[in-house]
Amino acid sequence: MKDDLTLLGNCTLDHDGCVVCSDAGIPVRVLSIDGDDALCEDSAGNQTEIAVELVAPVTQGEIMLTHGGVAIGKIEAENLTPER
Amino acid sequence: MKYVDEFRNADLARAVSAEIASLVDPKRHYKIMEVCGGHTHTIYRHGIKDLLPDQVELVHGPGCPVCVLPMGRVDEGIAIAERPEVIFTCFGDMMRVPGSKGNLLEIKAEGADIRMVYSPLDALRIAHENPDREVVFYAIGFETTAPSTALTLQRAKKEGIENFSVFCNHVTIVPPVRALLDSPDLRLDAFIGPGHVSTVIGCRPYEFMPADYGKPCVVAGFEPLDLMQSVLMLVRQLDEGRCEVENQYGRAVLWEGNLKALEAMSEVFELRPYFEWRGLGFIAQSALRLSADYADLDAELRYSTPGVRVADPKACQCGEVLKGVLKPPECKVFGTACTPERPLGALMVSSEGACAAYYNFGRKSFEKVEIGSR
Repeated sequence: MKDDLTLLGNCTLDHDGCVVCSDAGIPVRVLSIDGDDALCEDSAGNQTEIAVELVAPVTQGEIMLTHGGVAIGKIEAENLTPER
Repeated sequence: MKYVDEFRNADLARAVSAEIASLVDPKRHYKIMEVCGGHTHTIYRHGIKDLLPDQVELVHGPGCPVCVLPMGRVDEGIAIAERPEVIFTCFGDMMRVPGSKGNLLEIKAEGADIRMVYSPLDALRIAHENPDREVVFYAIGFETTAPSTALTLQRAKKEGIENFSVFCNHVTIVPPVRALLDSPDLRLDAFIGPGHVSTVIGCRPYEFMPADYGKPCVVAGFEPLDLMQSVLMLVRQLDEGRCEVENQYGRAVLWEGNLKALEAMSEVFELRPYFEWRGLGFIAQSALRLSADYADLDAELRYSTPGVRVADPKACQCGEVLKGVLKPPECKVFGTACTPERPLGALMVSSEGACAAYYNFGRKSFEKVEIGSR
């Protein structure tokens, strides 16, 4: 399951660069939902709470892009392979 | 391990590289600006330049929010941070940005209560846990980051947290790009658009590039193959005489963007009439401030910040580098007076700044010598 996340890049929640300047969007999978927050996991197994109001509704297992602790987008699964 | 590392697949990258090489017109020069600091970092870190023919030149743009922040705004943040009642919070990106009298890390060492946070929501949590202190969040970033600040302010208002405020330095991507296109210094052929900014704003805001200036734009992801494919798409457009906005990063960017995020931003923010950008000067309607509905959470009003203007150090040529007029090593102080350890200009501070990326990953050309030829 975690391997799917690497399709979206190798950026993880312990990203050590400049979150803001790198325009970082970290792909995470939703593990469980508690109101406006969701417990999420990245491709390295790091887990954290993410605010999901801006992409609601979310469901368990969905992949989202997060930035600064907030989900900013969902992943379009049909576009997951490189094209020529 | 299906799909693993596909966007770093070396065989695919070589194939795209060969296709670009076969398509470029040997008599033509392709000058392409990557607007985003994250792209600059990928280009140097993965040696993308080495995979492109000489005719394709990549120019680094103004898309690093720390790098474009004028020194006066850093000084004003420091002045708030020095107040004894304040817990000052900011992203790690901001800690080493030089103000006229030092940076936040130095002020923290002198005793100011400055805390690095990963999310503005962490700052709100600190406010909740410290009701007898004033918690200020130093907000920076383009449209990727502005939604997280907007959401935090909405929650602060909803929860009635009064000891929290935001010093807003959010900027928007389109006005500086338009300013660059209006600049007589620079002749560009095409743009690589920022991926995650576009997750929020979509692709429509870039339509002015082909419509008003005749420049194609491809919105790109951040893996090496994303950038290679984007260059290929731009070379195809230029060779075929097409000029349009294309989306290479379809897995994360919808054409219309994230409407909920845009709605939150429009509730919480309004455009400033003008804002100063390091190296680019004042640009109209290029930054955000808190709207009237959120004025009670605006640190600029709460602490009556005076709007200080501070000139950059004279030796510093960040402005020319930001505009793509100079390459980082062409700056007078690159690698000498200005290094990542002791940055003079902001472009050397952020790891996504063009100078820091060039310093850390840039390759110098050496004369090739065949083994055994001497």
